[in-house]
Amino acid sequence: MEHLWLVPALPLLGFLVLFLTEGRLPDRVVAVVGAGSVGLAALVALFVGYQFTQSGVASHPQVLWTWMAVGSFAPTVTLHLDSLSLVMMGVVTGVGFLIHLYATGYMWKDHEEPRGYSRFFAYMNLFVFAMLMLVLGDNLLVLFLGWEGVGLCSYLLIGFYHRDGANGYAARKAFVVTRVGDTALALGLFLLFWEVGTLHIQDALDQAAALDKTTVTVICLLLLGGAVGKSAQVPLQTWLPDAMAGPTPVSALIHAATMVTAGVYLIARMQGLYLESADARHVVALVGLVTLLVSSFTALAQTDIKRILAYSTMSQIGYMFMALGVGAWSAAIFHLMTHAFFKALLFLAAGSVILAMHHEQDIFKMGGLRKKLPVPFWSMAIGSLGLMAFPFTSGFFSKDAILLTAWTEAGWLYWGGGVLAAGLTALYTVRMMVITFWGETKTEPHDASHGGFSRTNMWLPLVALCALSIGGGWFGIGVLDDTLGALIEVDSHFSPVALATMAMPILMIGLGWLIFTGRINVQGLVDSAVGRGLRRFFAGGWGFDWVYDRVFVGPFVWFAKANKGDFVDWTYRLTAGVVRATHYVAALTQSGRLRWYAANMAAGLVVLLLFVAGWL
Amino acid sequence: MAISIPVEHVLYLAALLFLLGLVGVLVRRNVIFLLMSLEVMMNAAGLAFVAAGAKWGQPDGQIMFMFILALAAAEVAVALGLVLQLSRRFETLDVDAADELSG
Amino acid sequence: MNADLVLFWVPAAIAVFSTALVITRKNASRALVYLVISLLAVAVVFFVLGAPFAAALEVVVYAGAIVVLFLFVVMMLNLGRSSVLREGGWLRPNMWVLPGILAFVLLIVMFHVFAGTQAKTAGTEVPPSAVGRALFGPYLLAVELAGFLLLAALVGAYHLGRRYLEERRAVVEGTGEGVDAGGDGGR
Repeated sequence: MEHLWLVPALPLLGFLVLFLTEGRLPDRVVAVVGAGSVGLAALVALFVGYQFTQSGVASHPQVLWTWMAVGSFAPTVTLHLDSLSLVMMGVVTGVGFLIHLYATGYMWKDHEEPRGYSRFFAYMNLFVFAMLMLVLGDNLLVLFLGWEGVGLCSYLLIGFYHRDGANGYAARKAFVVTRVGDTALALGLFLLFWEVGTLHIQDALDQAAALDKTTVTVICLLLLGGAVGKSAQVPLQTWLPDAMAGPTPVSALIHAATMVTAGVYLIARMQGLYLESADARHVVALVGLVTLLVSSFTALAQTDIKRILAYSTMSQIGYMFMALGVGAWSAAIFHLMTHAFFKALLFLAAGSVILAMHHEQDIFKMGGLRKKLPVPFWSMAIGSLGLMAFPFTSGFFSKDAILLTAWTEAGWLYWGGGVLAAGLTALYTVRMMVITFWGETKTEPHDASHGGFSRTNMWLPLVALCALSIGGGWFGIGVLDDTLGALIEVDSHFSPVALATMAMPILMIGLGWLIFTGRINVQGLVDSAVGRGLRRFFAGGWGFDWVYDRVFVGPFVWFAKANKGDFVDWTYRLTAGVVRATHYVAALTQSGRLRWYAANMAAGLVVLLLFVAGWL
Repeated sequence: MAISIPVEHVLYLAALLFLLGLVGVLVRRNVIFLLMSLEVMMNAAGLAFVAAGAKWGQPDGQIMFMFILALAAAEVAVALGLVLQLSRRFETLDVDAADELSG
Repeated sequence: MNADLVLFWVPAAIAVFSTALVITRKNASRALVYLVISLLAVAVVFFVLGAPFAAALEVVVYAGAIVVLFLFVVMMLNLGRSSVLREGGWLRPNMWVLPGILAFVLLIVMFHVFAGTQAKTAGTEVPPSAVGRALFGPYLLAVELAGFLLLAALVGAYHLGRRYLEERRAVVEGTGEGVDAGGDGGR
């Protein structure tokens, strides 16, 4: 386990190599460095994880160095390995490696600029490093460092195609919106430090029980604010759909599998704190439920394949928040893991489709691709089954655990909402699949792979993720028991509630199939005034963007414009004016005439001598 | 041969010569005359040094005069080179013509 | 006024008078002749003050070398009658007013300052041997520096003058009309 430090160090090394060579390496070397560093990290993580599970210790800290020493505040940079961070580390390096491998093919000759390939992998490696620091840090300060690091990489990668101004706007939006949450998180950390005098996670949690309940609730809510921003939950969810402007592997890695789940990790990591505050847990569950429903309905009306997946990501993270809120801690992390598998698979398969469609993302311009793109089709189908929680796929086990816990712990409201959203999930997934892969061909796909090199690199991760999406659920999550507590035992997997939970997706898959293949005609319903209004409402993401634009962005921009020539500007202008005037006066003396200068020297001499003589 | 005279008289002479040189520098536009006036001014400064040396009966004043002499020789060599350049570039010896550094 | 002062003030008056002529002449060659006279008069003053070595240097270096250098340049520039006429145009009477006032004020101040000293010169000669010993004793470093200064002046004067001559030759031979002066400085 002493090799733990290698896991974040390898991606960092990869980043430094790519960053310092500034794109001078040939693309093939870049691919080896970029994907290889993460692959090696994954191998080391596997090895370390094996040692850890064999050793039987609950946690393994590895102190690297003392960050700073200010009085009693002396945080060390320490890697902390326990089962929670082991799972996260496995997801980040494992799924991260598969996505990197896929990206070596996807980004091949895709970039607009000569050095784009190297730049892309430099950012990706930096992201993996930051994400690993986030999940491995035993100190909230290190966690915060990784938190902001992944935010930076997210910003850089959303705006990767920076020649298009819209992508830059999407990147800024993501950065600013998450910054709102990060501010809350920072305040939460300050408050926590004020109360317990340390940012070491375990020490802080140990002291949590002794704190005032209101204080704990406030801290929890502030931390939740950070988590909501990072994980795109209501009300800070608006940045995620726009973040799809980045390359598809980025969407898979950052905006589906890892970074957006950081909020879930944060709350799970601070479990000890949340256990002290039932109110905070209630808010967490509520946020999850609201996001779940809002994004599920929104996904139903989207036409952009990546936006559909983005909204489904939001809804799945909503499940995780709900799980955290109702006390299904292990189930939340379990779902985080399975979601990373099938959502990465869905994004990568969608990326293959998009590549074959000449970067067309509108599903209504696709169609009939089932036979023409068999590998993406089957990958997407398997990923969809996971997403819909089809029985005995990976997503089924985790979602089942969440919903059954919700039933036993929190009552019918959360269970009902979750099951309704599961049905909606099945509906919009079937809609996406049917419109994309069945029906008549609207755009002829072309072979977008650039020779065998990229074809294999894109094909292998899809197969691996297919296997994980199907079989990932059989891992169980018993490994988390000693950190977060065991999965809550449900009465029976064959109670009416359990059967209803299981049946809902299957029913909705059938219903969706009938609707979207046209066997049940709902055109009249959709075209009615109510139907059209609802569709527009859902397509616009429930109007959150509209409201924020008018409430925050508009007034702020107006104020900034109105305030352009303010008092501060006047001081600068005055300074400039004085300098200019002085220059003008001084320039008058610069006649360029030698004799004029000599005469001035003589005049100066007169004055000086008058002083010497004592006449002045 | 050396006689004893009041130092201030020598200094009066030095001042007169210096000021005549200064007037020359300020009045003449021809750069050759300007340089001659400069030589006069330096010579006057050297005279003041020699007077001081004579006052104390020490060689230092004469040595300073010699340094001034070396300085004047160096200055006049470079300055006359510049005069040649000036007359070639501006086709004139008018020092006021070379006012390109005017602010 | 005793005989000693006469011995001093006669050459002094000659120096002042000829210097005044130097700055008022229109013809450069004549001004140079008056400059020589002025320098010789100052040399006499040096002699009177008991500085025979300085006097000799004044004659050799100033009146000999420097003024001859001036004469060379005046001859090279070929300043004839036209330049004398132009000089007349440049020397308008009203130009003397401001420098005159300035110099007069300075003169008053200087005389006032000097008048405070009630000392006499030692009246003893400082022989060249004493000067030489001091020069190559305590002032050795300064002598070396003066040597460097003269070397730098030599290089600078050569540089400035050579380009001028090459330019002239090129124009005369018709090989390079209007060669830029900076173009061949590094050759």
